Amino acid sequence: MFIRGERNNLSFKMTPSVSAPPQASVKLSQGLGIGYRSLLAEVTEDIPLENGTHYLLARNGRGKTTLLKTVAGLIRKLSGSFETHGHCQFIGDEFFFDRELKSQAVFRALIPAARREDAFRLADKLELDVGREFGKLSFGNRKKVGLVVAEFRLRENEPNLLFYDEPFTGLDTPAREAISERWKATGDQAVRIVSCHPDFDSMAMPSALLITDGKIFRGGDGNLTWADFKERLN
Amino acid sequence: MDLFRLTISTLMARRMWVVVLLVAVITPIVFPLFTPHETNTTLLEPARAQSAWTCTWLIGILWTLSQAARFGESNSRSGIGSYFRAQGVGSLRQIFAIWSAIMLFLLPVVLVAVGTCLLFAMPANPQEASMWVWTNLQFAALFLLTIGPLALLGVGLASRFGTLIGYVVPTGLCLYGLYGVTYLGMTIRLRDDNKVLEWLYAISPQYHLADLTPRLIFKMGHLPWADFTSFLLYFLAITLILGCSATLLFRTDPLRN
Repeated sequence: MFIRGERNNLSFKMTPSVSAPPQASVKLSQGLGIGYRSLLAEVTEDIPLENGTHYLLARNGRGKTTLLKTVAGLIRKLSGSFETHGHCQFIGDEFFFDRELKSQAVFRALIPAARREDAFRLADKLELDVGREFGKLSFGNRKKVGLVVAEFRLRENEPNLLFYDEPFTGLDTPAREAISERWKATGDQAVRIVSCHPDFDSMAMPSALLITDGKIFRGGDGNLTWADFKERLN
Repeated sequence: MDLFRLTISTLMARRMWVVVLLVAVITPIVFPLFTPHETNTTLLEPARAQSAWTCTWLIGILWTLSQAARFGESNSRSGIGSYFRAQGVGSLRQIFAIWSAIMLFLLPVVLVAVGTCLLFAMPANPQEASMWVWTNLQFAALFLLTIGPLALLGVGLASRFGTLIGYVVPTGLCLYGLYGVTYLGMTIRLRDDNKVLEWLYAISPQYHLADLTPRLIFKMGHLPWADFTSFLLYFLAITLILGCSATLLFRTDPLRN
């Protein structure tokens, strides 16, 4: 099992593995500032996140992508600190493959053979035509390819971190439900932080991070839905 | 390794490699037939060698360098570069994964050129034959040392500035090193007091040294080993410079980020 300190130093330490599902974690410390050149938002309280799905909610341009990229180690933090523990995957809102490459070829190249069968099953459930060239897929179907790749590249017996930037954009409701089901079923295998703009009020959000007025904080008591958060963001 | 596999899969899916390989095989068979070989049968074999290696140069410049540029840009713009970087695959590993996959597809083309020369243009004289083998092997090594670093530069440049720059700069450098430098040398000889031109000539990549086609056509024998070693060291030094530049230029995400 790997323990990663702060993402930016990318250092790994070995610790003994345990039989329980490996626990990944993200800890955003109070004072963590994100942004490119100027401060976009700052964490107002210590936010520890463990295995499960955590939604990241904010209006456009408030720093969702910036926060995800910061904790994924892709851009530098402006102040403060954070810790991540686990094998990280960042699936950006633009995560696309070559136009001529078929989804099945992408799966063969990136998904370990032992898990490929399950990946094709999920693709089938999502109604993704794996024999069609990536360039001929609709926007929503292109998103599905990235989702399937990320889900089946989770490492077994290792803590996993999945940072999704607006994965639901372009996805139809059945596909969203299938993905949500998958996340529910494999919630103990990874920390998933998912930035999104939900489009139906009843969408359950047991755990959510909110960014508003330049502040990043945790919201929700485990039983809230998108309708409860919407007001706070507006 | 995953990015290497993905690049290989993409190259396979593009299917252009089939056309490239067919061109590499067919050109040395068809083109020499346009020579007046019926009247002079000795023309056929040197023409085959010339066609094989000219075709290899063209494939290297037109296909390999363009693929390098295309992959460099798409890696940074498609989110794939960021995806792998978040997993701990750094810039250096990414650029070499892409580059080695591209070079893997160039190797068969070089093998076809060497094979054509050895199977269909081999001199009958045993001494000439031995020299012929070594000339071709030297040519293959120098060719790969020319195109390889330029492809690496193409990946690096394209990841930062886009496909056009990533293709035009290495191609321009290659053509200049193959032909332009020779003209520059002739100009210097005519006007022997121009220090700027002499300085420019000294720092120019002398890629024409890697083109051993005249040695094959005129059966001049292989390069003396001392010269070949010097050339090898010279091209390795260029590789080092271009390799460092390419890795410094390489970006895993678009410039705006």
